[in-house]
Amino acid sequence: MARMKFLCDAERCIECNACVTACKNENEVPWGVNRRRVVTIHDGSPGERSLSVACMHCSDAPCAAVCPVDCFYTTDDGVVLHDKDICIGCGYCFYACPFGAPQFPVAEAFGQRGKMDKCTFCAGGPLPDNSPEEYSKYGANRLAEGKLPLCAEMCATRALIAGDGDTVSDIFRERVTWRGSSGFAHGWGVAYKNQHRDSKGKAVEGKAAGGD
Amino acid sequence: MKLVKKQGSNASTAQPAMLGATIDRRTFLKQSGITAGGVAAAGTLSMSMMKKASATTAARSPTDEGNPEQIRTICTHCSVGCGVYAEVENGVWTGQEPAFDHPFNKGAHCAKGASVREHGHGERRLKYPTKLVNGKWVRVSWDEAINEIGDQMLSIREQSGPDSIYWLGSAKHNNEQAYLFSKFAAFAGTNNMDHQARICHSTTVAGVANTWGYGAMTNSYNDIHNSKAILIIGGNPAEAHPVSLQHLFRATERNNAPLIVIDPRFTRTAAHADQYVRLRPGTDVPVVWGMLWHIFENGWEDKEFIKQRVYGMDEVRAEVARWTPDEVERVSGVPEETIKRAAQTMAEHRPGTFIWCMGGTQHTVGNNNTRAYCIFQLALGNMGVAGGGTNIFRGHDNVQGATDFGVLSHTLPGYYGLSEGAWKHWAKVWDVDYDWLSSQFDQGSYEEAGGKPAKPMNTKGIPVSRWIDGILEDKANIAQKDNVRAMVLWGHAPNSQTRGPEMKEAMEKLDLMVIIDPYPTASAVMQDRSDGVYLLPAATQFETYGSVTASNRSLQWRDKVIDPLFESLPDHTIMYKFAKKLGFGDELVKNIQVTDDEPLIEDITREFNKGMWTIGYTGQSPERLKEHQQNWHTFDYTSLEAKGGPANGDYYGMPWPCWGTAEMRHPGSPNLYDTSKEVARGGLNFRARFGVERDGVNLLAEGSWSKGAEIKDGYPEFSADVLKKLGWWDDLTAEEKQLAEGKNWKTDRSGGIQRVAIKHGCAPFGNAKARAVVWTFPDQVPIHREPLYTSRRDLVEKYPTYADRKDFYRLPTRYESIQVKDYTGDYPLIMTSGRLVEYEGGGDETRSNPWLAELQQDMFAEINIVDANNNNIKDGEQMWLEGPEGGRIKIMAKVTQEGVAPGVVWMPFHFAGHFEGRDLRDKYPKGSDPYVLGEACNTAFTYGYDSVTQMQETKCSLCRITPA
Amino acid sequence: MAAQTRTANRHHRIIIWSLLLLVAATLLLPLIPYAMDYVDPSGTVPNPGADLWRDVRNGNIGTSQVLGVDAGVLINDNGERWRHFRMNQLIPVGAMFMGSVLALIVLFYLVRGPLRIQGGATGKMIRRFSVFERTTHWFTVGLFWLLALTGLILLYGRFVLIPVLGPEGFGLTASACKEAHNLFGPMFLVALLMMFFTFVKDNIYARGDMTWLLKGGGMLGGDHVSAGRFNAGEKIWFWIAMIGGAVLIGSGFVLDFAVFGQGREVMAISHVLHGIAALIVITVSFGHIYLGTAGVEGTIGSMVNGEVDEAWAKSHHDRWYAEVKAAEGGGENEESAGGTAATGVASPARDA
Repeated sequence: MARMKFLCDAERCIECNACVTACKNENEVPWGVNRRRVVTIHDGSPGERSLSVACMHCSDAPCAAVCPVDCFYTTDDGVVLHDKDICIGCGYCFYACPFGAPQFPVAEAFGQRGKMDKCTFCAGGPLPDNSPEEYSKYGANRLAEGKLPLCAEMCATRALIAGDGDTVSDIFRERVTWRGSSGFAHGWGVAYKNQHRDSKGKAVEGKAAGGD
Repeated sequence: MKLVKKQGSNASTAQPAMLGATIDRRTFLKQSGITAGGVAAAGTLSMSMMKKASATTAARSPTDEGNPEQIRTICTHCSVGCGVYAEVENGVWTGQEPAFDHPFNKGAHCAKGASVREHGHGERRLKYPTKLVNGKWVRVSWDEAINEIGDQMLSIREQSGPDSIYWLGSAKHNNEQAYLFSKFAAFAGTNNMDHQARICHSTTVAGVANTWGYGAMTNSYNDIHNSKAILIIGGNPAEAHPVSLQHLFRATERNNAPLIVIDPRFTRTAAHADQYVRLRPGTDVPVVWGMLWHIFENGWEDKEFIKQRVYGMDEVRAEVARWTPDEVERVSGVPEETIKRAAQTMAEHRPGTFIWCMGGTQHTVGNNNTRAYCIFQLALGNMGVAGGGTNIFRGHDNVQGATDFGVLSHTLPGYYGLSEGAWKHWAKVWDVDYDWLSSQFDQGSYEEAGGKPAKPMNTKGIPVSRWIDGILEDKANIAQKDNVRAMVLWGHAPNSQTRGPEMKEAMEKLDLMVIIDPYPTASAVMQDRSDGVYLLPAATQFETYGSVTASNRSLQWRDKVIDPLFESLPDHTIMYKFAKKLGFGDELVKNIQVTDDEPLIEDITREFNKGMWTIGYTGQSPERLKEHQQNWHTFDYTSLEAKGGPANGDYYGMPWPCWGTAEMRHPGSPNLYDTSKEVARGGLNFRARFGVERDGVNLLAEGSWSKGAEIKDGYPEFSADVLKKLGWWDDLTAEEKQLAEGKNWKTDRSGGIQRVAIKHGCAPFGNAKARAVVWTFPDQVPIHREPLYTSRRDLVEKYPTYADRKDFYRLPTRYESIQVKDYTGDYPLIMTSGRLVEYEGGGDETRSNPWLAELQQDMFAEINIVDANNNNIKDGEQMWLEGPEGGRIKIMAKVTQEGVAPGVVWMPFHFAGHFEGRDLRDKYPKGSDPYVLGEACNTAFTYGYDSVTQMQETKCSLCRITPA
Repeated sequence: MAAQTRTANRHHRIIIWSLLLLVAATLLLPLIPYAMDYVDPSGTVPNPGADLWRDVRNGNIGTSQVLGVDAGVLINDNGERWRHFRMNQLIPVGAMFMGSVLALIVLFYLVRGPLRIQGGATGKMIRRFSVFERTTHWFTVGLFWLLALTGLILLYGRFVLIPVLGPEGFGLTASACKEAHNLFGPMFLVALLMMFFTFVKDNIYARGDMTWLLKGGGMLGGDHVSAGRFNAGEKIWFWIAMIGGAVLIGSGFVLDFAVFGQGREVMAISHVLHGIAALIVITVSFGHIYLGTAGVEGTIGSMVNGEVDEAWAKSHHDRWYAEVKAAEGGGENEESAGGTAATGVASPARDA
């Protein structure tokens, strides 16, 4: 089974925000909700580096652990999704998430947040694949079409890589070999610890966006 | 809300869903929850939380019956020319897929490219023709608008001559529209037409073309894969051309190519550089000469290359010798070690590529800067090789094409100039009588530079950078019949131009203002007129089709994605409507089929194929272009050559020059002046453009020729006479001979001269040396001159600017009379400007795209913490910034430790909609105000124009900042 | 005799301090992981980007074009700590805490049974709480249990109720609970203030409270201990409820009104305080409820109709009884004696 992963290569990320707008484009995410964002450290100084962050689809997802209504689930592809019909908008996932992935459409008095929204790895949600209902609640389901998340597919410099974990690491390893030094990938340890790999998979298995 | 086809005149469907005049984030959220079918907004109210999140109809539902149609188009933002797959269902743009098979971007995009589908929403577009009546926007029909505008124009023309109507075109036209626009202005009888290339790379085009023949990027983005070193000066491609970084990183990672970034600001590109060099704005020549000083000092130059292919390097040596490390440091602030390291890196890693952008071009000495860059590459022998070259990153998606098609006040399409011969060539191509054409122009004659009287038809028109002076300047000082009285701003953002307060005054002085654009633009709101303004909705390039020229000279075919939204019309349709009204409709489309007032794009392509011999826009027929478009996947990612497939052997987009006729199937020239290839396979040498000798010195190449050339030395450009002398005349067919007789390679409309020259392995334009000395320019060898508003008064005496000029592009132009005054007391900080990745140009389009606008909501200035503290300004707070001509803007301070040096202020230039502290949101026609408004930095920018091209000086002026 | 008293006093002091320490530990222990640097079990990987990651881990906050309170924070380490606290400490420890206290009460009841009125009820009633006082009390009770139950459902429902109601059913329940908790939570501030101003006078430490405490309120020894209107145990409950309530309201405000730009760390810490305070107040309330109902015969009446038997008053609150009687002697209106007397003579009663 393929195990989906994101990896952002800080040596290549140029904070062009293509991933952010690609996500908005593909999922029609409204103003104020950003399933993905780019964070820059040491902006405007030597050592400036940027990384694109979204839900990392953790193996042992803190959001799922703390959810009071247990609305999260992990798909066969290792994608962490949630059910908006169950979500109560409490915000606990936002406290627990190391990456700041959970987003809420509103922030009003009396704890009004709306249903949590986050990156779905372009894998939709618990409704029938590619149904209009699924699209309106969760956005696109590219995985079901054999495609990968649009953010990584559109990354300007191929800094953001998404896809089957083995392929993602192969791409990154090759790149690091070209650079002649060892590298370390964003979020690898936190997000992918205890992952297990085996090799039966769906259409997306063995695919990754971000080669070269 | 389901996206519906927005077309026709039904006012209710034309209403935008978000009507609020002011949109704050909260209301935006609420509204977008309704309109965008917001994923996350579903069920946000407290009680609905207990119900199932209600499923609103998706704005995009992938399972609509029928498979979406996939349309191949090209991003309309920058010159990289990224391929886009648009998915369309029932006429609605429902999806955007990455074009992994596209040779330029391999599916990648920047923030702008990744959000082009928003064009299919078009919420903030100008929706129908609108005119200003007593200070109110009133909807009118297209016919009314064209008639009213046309009548006024005819009367202005009658009173003040054709030059009193200014046609400001656009880099957003596709090639066909750009060409038709040039032709349109010619038929309207004026050279007062121009476009944004004037204020972006005009100094590049002039400087580069005058060095070796053609004014364009010599290699390509993809060719950077072959570079062993990369030097970027005055450019921030990580924001302005993000996808180019994909190619740069390939070189830095696979070739271990060092990346050097020279810029006053520590940019996002600099963040990835191996060496960052900070210079004082406006000291490019000292820095480049400083590097060259070390190269000459250490004998690192390519002596063989210089001997064979460069003229005048000794004069450069003499100038460079003055730029000792101490002097370079005194003037530019860059220490010797830094300069030497950069020079040595470039010398030791060859071939290296040299990239520049606006940081180098937008100066009073812009042409000196660009020539200095060229000379640097010539000295290292980096020209005409894969991995080398001057990779000039152009700005807009079709600024290269619009430049090539002469949407410029100083030349006809194809850089033919404005001489009588040029007009006659084009009159033949257009199939019109030269006398008729000439009669369209003002028949008077006016003083031109040098005191000789000249006819307006043959004199350069007023450039876009100076149109305001065409209105404001005393009539007696302008070398034409009258002031400019009517402005047509066609796809132009006025906030990209300097001297805001004077521009406002100029706009208010006009008789008539016509804005033709998909958006109202700042032109609609920055003036306080109450009448005489027309807004005409133009379609975007996704709503029409045609070819577009990327920065690397490749032509790409775009297909139409959706029908024009609302009541907008494609540019060429609008041109034809105006031509009909102004009385030359039939002449304009003499050999072009017209359906419902829309001239057929393919016929326009075929027409320019018949005339654009100078730069080889002749081989790219619509059929070949479409063939390339349908076979993106067959082109190699590095060489751009098709490996097999129907276009086998062609270079992608047939980068010009693509010699001869389409039947010749020239593959295009991927890297200019590359002698390692046959001319027939895209090889070249430097162009013989400047004569064969000067002062007894040979200007032709010596001992260097392109592979397979039968003339194994330098040779002049080809003409009928040359062919006869060489005994090659009989290689022409009888038909060709008829057309070629008495012509040269530029004017032979049969293409025979080019064909025969290439048959013998020769470049039609000859084989000469590049010239390091441009004897036709004010500064023959590039020298340093301080900016008009310099911060270094101590250097003015040694490096003064030019003398004022009485008549330069029809206008008096000031230099030393400005520089003579010391402003540094009141305006102690240097101000410069640049780009943000989220926005493009004046930003009306991108600030109206919510996916982009959300990421940049405030106009700001980057200031050093020292200046912030000295002026009592805190990060994130509002401040006033004032330029020495009095333009002042209220903007947010972004305090930086090292982003800019103390004493330097940097601003993005994409904002508009605020003017000197005033929010103009209420002045936009209802529903068409961009989501994000802000002060235009150019409101504060000042006078200053390049000595060759009238490029505006926006990269170096003075300012002061105070807390607001 | 004096020596004996001194020894007894020392013992009592030790007991008091131990109790205080225990309470403090309950409050502070869960915070330990926040104070210690949490070690990521996945370990570290040596790499050239180490500087970047060290910066990130050291809390070097970046910038982002995406606007948001915490948008510039790349990795929120405290998220894991908060999760650990909630899942491994608050939920299990809280359950054990509440469960054991409940069990102890049941055990105590079974072993000891209710505390009877000494000598039996006389049938002569005196007024203990005015209508206003009772209203205040029951308003607070109602609100408290609404919030406590909704809160507990959010805390434990996932383990207890999902098996019963199913995920969707529980989703609706939890959603209702969350909305109720968020909407009614702010009203608890009103209740708490009313409680405070109504009862604070009688809950200030008075001489004899320590003796009462040391004798365990007579519950253990069987002897009656002298007490005013409220005994020391009641006073401790009052202050636990007040301080706990204040913490709940303060932290609840931070959580309920996320409109002031507070970040998720502030909210997570508020959540920690909210959870601890809630569990303590809820648990202690079990004791209060027991003593007010089944634990002590004749007490419930004071909050139902406001009256208690004179014998009850004499045995549990002898000094208060004396005051009431004294006031009655000097006053004309018996009806209002309970309320006014209690308030009027609270201070002099200390000298009794």
